[in-house]
Amino acid sequence: MRHAPYPVFVADGQGTLLLRSDAAGALLPGARPGAVFTDVVPAWLSAAHDALTEPGRRAGRAVHTPVSGAISERSFEAHSSVQDDNSVVWWLIDDTDHQLVRDALQMERERTEFLAKTSNLLLSSLNLERCMDVTAQLAAEYLADAALVIAPARGQRLPVVSCLRGDSPVRSQESADPDDVPGLDEALRGFPPVPSRWIDPGVAPDWMVPADFGPVGSIVITPLPGHGVAAGALVLLRRSGTAAFTEGEEVFARLFATRAGAAMSAARLYAEQAAITEVLMRELLPPSLHQISGVDFSGGYRPSEDHERIGGDFYDVHPAAVEGEASLVALGDVCGKGLEAAVLTGKIRNTLHALLPMADDHQRMISLLNTALVNSHHTRFATLVLASAIREGSGVNLRLTSAGHPPPLIVRTSGEVEEAATSGTLVGAIPETRARTAAVTLAPGDSCVLYTDGITEAKGGPLGGTEFGEERLQRVLAQCAGMPSEGIVEHVQMLASQWVGKGRHDDMAVVVISAPRTQHLSAVNGRTRGRYTS
Amino acid sequence: MTTKPPSSLRLTTVDTEDTVRIEVHGDLDYDNADHLLLAVTDKLAEHPRLGDLHLHCAGLELVDSMGLSILLMIHRRTSAAGVRLHLDDRPARLDRLLSLTGTLEHFTAPLTEGAEGSPGSSAEPPQTGGETTPAGPRDRTAPP
Repeated sequence: MRHAPYPVFVADGQGTLLLRSDAAGALLPGARPGAVFTDVVPAWLSAAHDALTEPGRRAGRAVHTPVSGAISERSFEAHSSVQDDNSVVWWLIDDTDHQLVRDALQMERERTEFLAKTSNLLLSSLNLERCMDVTAQLAAEYLADAALVIAPARGQRLPVVSCLRGDSPVRSQESADPDDVPGLDEALRGFPPVPSRWIDPGVAPDWMVPADFGPVGSIVITPLPGHGVAAGALVLLRRSGTAAFTEGEEVFARLFATRAGAAMSAARLYAEQAAITEVLMRELLPPSLHQISGVDFSGGYRPSEDHERIGGDFYDVHPAAVEGEASLVALGDVCGKGLEAAVLTGKIRNTLHALLPMADDHQRMISLLNTALVNSHHTRFATLVLASAIREGSGVNLRLTSAGHPPPLIVRTSGEVEEAATSGTLVGAIPETRARTAAVTLAPGDSCVLYTDGITEAKGGPLGGTEFGEERLQRVLAQCAGMPSEGIVEHVQMLASQWVGKGRHDDMAVVVISAPRTQHLSAVNGRTRGRYTS
Repeated sequence: MTTKPPSSLRLTTVDTEDTVRIEVHGDLDYDNADHLLLAVTDKLAEHPRLGDLHLHCAGLELVDSMGLSILLMIHRRTSAAGVRLHLDDRPARLDRLLSLTGTLEHFTAPLTEGAEGSPGSSAEPPQTGGETTPAGPRDRTAPP
């Protein structure tokens, strides 16, 4: 027993130490035979001994669950066996290394879980400010006493989000020079981080330390890597009372920063794209229409809700440059979606504007527009309708030309709806174009409806998958007979929207040209020709 | 015979030396139309002596503006390569789209570009479904 390779104690039911091995003596020199066992061993072991030997407990050679605890900075597991005479043999096994490995595993699991949580939280947002907030909050919660997320300088100012552990993140703009803080400028430029032990916590400027934080004990400054350029820098602060950052913690902070930086970078790219889209949309927004030279114009546009994809419908009304000439309406639909479609739309609108002097010759206008658009790289095309409208007496004379577009519909006051007899080739894809122009006269109260296929191809209805269709549009328009132009636009848009319900739809554009209902100012019996208001 | 899987556009091709026939099933739209262009471009590269390319359209469902744009691009490429493009067995819907956009003539007109213009060859695709243009040695054109 004395030479057992492990520390072994034998103590009787009264708590007297009977025997010990040499190894046990080396571990606890005070534990000599004859000593009171519970006095010389640590509390966790003496409590276990008391529990085993308490009176009334049935003695026996039972094996009991081991207990564990620390003895002079090492960790032990104590296995007991109770002898027939109610004495207990304690075997102690040093499991310090085992415990260390177990702790490391536990920590690794917690870190992995934390990183997964980080990714989940950050990737669910495409808002840059929210990403910065979440990053600062997570870092303050798990990595430091306080954390700052600093975005690259905007002009002279550094956008900063700081967060104290347990607090909410605070946004601010600091007019500070990143050069003043060692390692910050480098981090903002995406250079590898400076080891924490090289940064003197005393140099942290006031703006970096949250109010009431107290003296700073240690600092970590690490870059937030982005796509190509750094997304910012992460600053971790610990109070002087807290343990300084270990090398392992710094490495872990970098892992965290990688995820946070990727999310912030994605959010920034998205924000830039959204800004471009918005600028383009503003540029592409159709004009508000009104009466021009005695002709009523109304338009309505409902863009597709697919935000990433800027729509391809457009319309414009160009009032006649000279009184007595026709105004020109152009309504069209550009193939495809997104930036390329938006650029093509802009090109078409500008080209048509420049071609206005020849608006009396639709064919020529379309042919020149086609030449300007045809391009060897792609066959992206547009279909459009040109309508020249001029007041003639109480009516309106129209010249309508379709370039591959659904022909305009004429709504008579009687409720008749007719398709204008025009057709032609689309523009932008094939070198030669041809188009047939239709001449139509609108009597007072008659309307001409230009629309894009976003309306007729809108899918919905009671069963969900039916197209709105041309026939339904014609039926709807028949009920609009005699309505003012705005009324028709609203009615068509409302019904098409109801048809689609919550479903996805393409852009929908409608323009209505009407001959206003006239009021006879001096008509006597309704047979003589009176004067009209215009 | 190859089949392109994943999208809702399925292509089945049958090649002979001077004729390629691609059966198109499903939607030719914004998301898928590219596949057809790629397939045709590959075939043109594979068969430098190709005389006729048949797109069998009976299985076509939706064709949106992007789909039409791709058909126009295919026509441009086949014309440049001196290959006659045939849109066979067109569903009524496709015909309507082609006539509305004024492109039906463009797709069905005899080939004008290129060195070879063997007269009497089948430039006009059949208007009724079922029978396809016979692809035999008599259609074979001499290399330029």
